[in-house]
Amino acid sequence: MTKKILVVDDSKTALMMEREILERRTTYTCVTASDGREAVEKAEQEHPDLVLMDVVMPNMNGFEACKMMRQQASTRETPIVLVTTRGEESYMEAGFQSGCNDYITKPVDGAELVALLQSYLGE
Amino acid sequence: MNSDKNNTPAPSATAAMNELRLGAARKRLAESRGQEDAIEGLREIVANFLGSEELGLFRVDHKTDRKPTAFQVFWSFGIDLEEYDLLRGLGEAGLQRVMRGECHVELTSGERSGATAKAQAFIPIRVANETIAILAILRLLPQKIAFDGCDLELFKLLSNEAAGPLFGANFDAKPVTEGPGMGV
Repeated sequence: MTKKILVVDDSKTALMMEREILERRTTYTCVTASDGREAVEKAEQEHPDLVLMDVVMPNMNGFEACKMMRQQASTRETPIVLVTTRGEESYMEAGFQSGCNDYITKPVDGAELVALLQSYLGE
Repeated sequence: MNSDKNNTPAPSATAAMNELRLGAARKRLAESRGQEDAIEGLREIVANFLGSEELGLFRVDHKTDRKPTAFQVFWSFGIDLEEYDLLRGLGEAGLQRVMRGECHVELTSGERSGATAKAQAFIPIRVANETIAILAILRLLPQKIAFDGCDLELFKLLSNEAAGPLFGANFDAKPVTEGPGMGV
């Protein structure tokens, strides 16, 4: 069964790029959201196999959205990978405290992203 | 999982990803709805693809009588450019290169980089063989150590294709001083 990824970013460019990577370099399907609040709603509706989510976003940031997804039964166990411009240890720790499984820093390396996603979802 | 941004995957994988990146950048600029969206697109491209959140645009003023060329801060993000001396940052030789249409880049992969190394890039925004603006990228995110060959290709794309979305037919556009994320 094809794996589905929910990609969340307020940047049209980042969404465009990540969608291209997923569609051309993997067999995964992709749904998108442009802020944390929409992400929580979409996750509930779409039941993705993994959430790839930016941190700094309007309405609700990635940390807050991650916490909310962990409170929802349908997304409590869904792997969540946060995408951030900040790689400091304290920031990473905040991500893990919010419930994420992993993180990747910007600028995102496409090959690295694919490898990371495949480590959770298989090829 | 974190990574040194200087890892080197197989050349074919790198080339394929680079093509995707260039395509996404081109599409984002081409589909911009107005100047404000084009500027936001430029900011997104630099943040997401080049790894910098300190950048700005200088309009090149060819009309002033005070100097052969003057530069006006048109827009900035993450840094206050009002006091920034572009000529000092570029140097005379760098300025000449940029006005000729070449990118001026400091610190690319393969050069020595220390903890305090500061990579910068000055990209001419061109129309009809004339540099009408300069995109200055002034500091990289800590995890992005230097610019690489793929980044130089993206610089070239921005140089050749950003002018239209940014300035349209109105090359006398006034500086952007309002809007979300605009300025410091």
